[in-house]
Amino acid sequence: MLQFNRTNRTLRGYGMHPVLGYLLGFAAFILLSTYLFHQTTYGGPVLLLLALGILAKMAATGRTEFLRLVFGDRKGRLIRLLENLMISLPFLVVLLYQGAYAATLLLIAGSGAMAGLRLKGRPNFTLPTPFYRKPFEFTVGFRNTWYLLLPAYILTAIAVSVQNLNLGLLAMLLVWGISMTYYLRPEPAYFVWSYAVRPSGFIFEKMKTATVFAAGLVLPVVASLLLFFPQHPEMTLFIAFFGFVFLWTIILAKYAAYPDEMGLPEGVLIALSIYFLPLLLVMIPFFYFKSIKNLNLLLK
Amino acid sequence: MIRIKELHKQYGENLVLKNVNLSFSGGRVYGIVGENGAGKTTLFRCIAGLEDFQGEISSEFRPLKNHLGLLLTEPFFFSNMTGNEYIRLLCNARGLSIPDPEARNVFDLPLRQYASTYSTGMKKKLAITAILLQENKYFILDEPFNGVDIQSNMVITEIIHKLRELDKTVLVSSHIFSTLRDTCDEIHLLKKGEPVTTVDKQGFDRLEAEMKAATIGNKLEKLGIK
Repeated sequence: MLQFNRTNRTLRGYGMHPVLGYLLGFAAFILLSTYLFHQTTYGGPVLLLLALGILAKMAATGRTEFLRLVFGDRKGRLIRLLENLMISLPFLVVLLYQGAYAATLLLIAGSGAMAGLRLKGRPNFTLPTPFYRKPFEFTVGFRNTWYLLLPAYILTAIAVSVQNLNLGLLAMLLVWGISMTYYLRPEPAYFVWSYAVRPSGFIFEKMKTATVFAAGLVLPVVASLLLFFPQHPEMTLFIAFFGFVFLWTIILAKYAAYPDEMGLPEGVLIALSIYFLPLLLVMIPFFYFKSIKNLNLLLK
Repeated sequence: MIRIKELHKQYGENLVLKNVNLSFSGGRVYGIVGENGAGKTTLFRCIAGLEDFQGEISSEFRPLKNHLGLLLTEPFFFSNMTGNEYIRLLCNARGLSIPDPEARNVFDLPLRQYASTYSTGMKKKLAITAILLQENKYFILDEPFNGVDIQSNMVITEIIHKLRELDKTVLVSSHIFSTLRDTCDEIHLLKKGEPVTTVDKQGFDRLEAEMKAATIGNKLEKLGIK
């Protein structure tokens, strides 16, 4: 019940009615998983790994110990089992519907087994990053998402080997999508305040760093696609270019909402821009001037 | 020099700072004391420019914040960011490049480890290191001695002495009077958002005795400890 209330609060924080949030989330999940099964033969294993990844997060030592401390050993484990089943349920429905029975059975077994697990949150190991000289977004983001970037590069290699440009473009979109997530959450005011620049200089600095570092991430994909699909460079360059434009838009939208997190209005405006690209000509200046206004208190 | 004139700050109906008129000059260390909620942190945040306020805060620098090192009571650290990277982030923000933070690691911190895994004291020491490397003229240290071990306490005290020697202006808040006695030239007592007493070194003992009397009084007798 507490988790349900917390989720409701989070959705309200995004400016969305919880019921609408659940419906949108459910619809997005069904659409994406159907697309996944439609596009590849690895839909079952991918969905299974995704579900197990979420379950592993839920088995983090801190929260597991807290539950057992508050509710006792037996009740704590039961709560964990219920949580796991609730999380697995949508995945199980899709897997069953798609006839991925082996993945279904593995997920049920995993849900049960992981209810009794306490996974140590983070190993005492510092992951090297090529972005360490200019913290923080890409430095922290790379460490949080390296395991998602890896499949994107593998997907590029597969695209080249099976001569499927669309798959390569999907890999590039994945890299762009991951890079953009680095700018979704607002940092504490102290880390904006610390900058000895005007708001416009701050925004420019953020966009410059993002451009250089994102170029580093996306370059292997773009170069591979241009090299191995020389007959269709236009789609590769189109997505590469608009990847940068949307990355800048996300940065501007982040500070347009600052110090709050980006909410429904910014999300809707960005989504509309994806469907109608010329809208970016209005969105970018709109977010820019709003950002400048928001940053003025901290950087005047 | 920082000059504060007729500073007022309120959150909604709640007036948290009123009639603050203070000045802080170079080569001196100022202690700000007061009970929880007296307005110390809010005063610091106003000086830093992290809060809007009524009144005037001026200095030879415009804006002051670009020459100010601010140590927050509980510094924030991003997950998956090393100590080295934290220092780089804060120095980059001031347009400074620190090629090798390890060489300036006065507290012997494990700078290659993620800062979010540090203990409370280590986090504080990292935050202090970063603002020292920013080459500031002014320093605001909100509870710098909280949670740090006795050795680091001594190092921080020496750092404050060194900053005074270098003609920097330092504002310190602390709930441990002895640390203020060791470091400050002047102490301002805040009560309900208003500076009510200012004492120099000669008056520290008297201020401590007054604060003790006002805070403790005969409360311990109520406990009836046997």
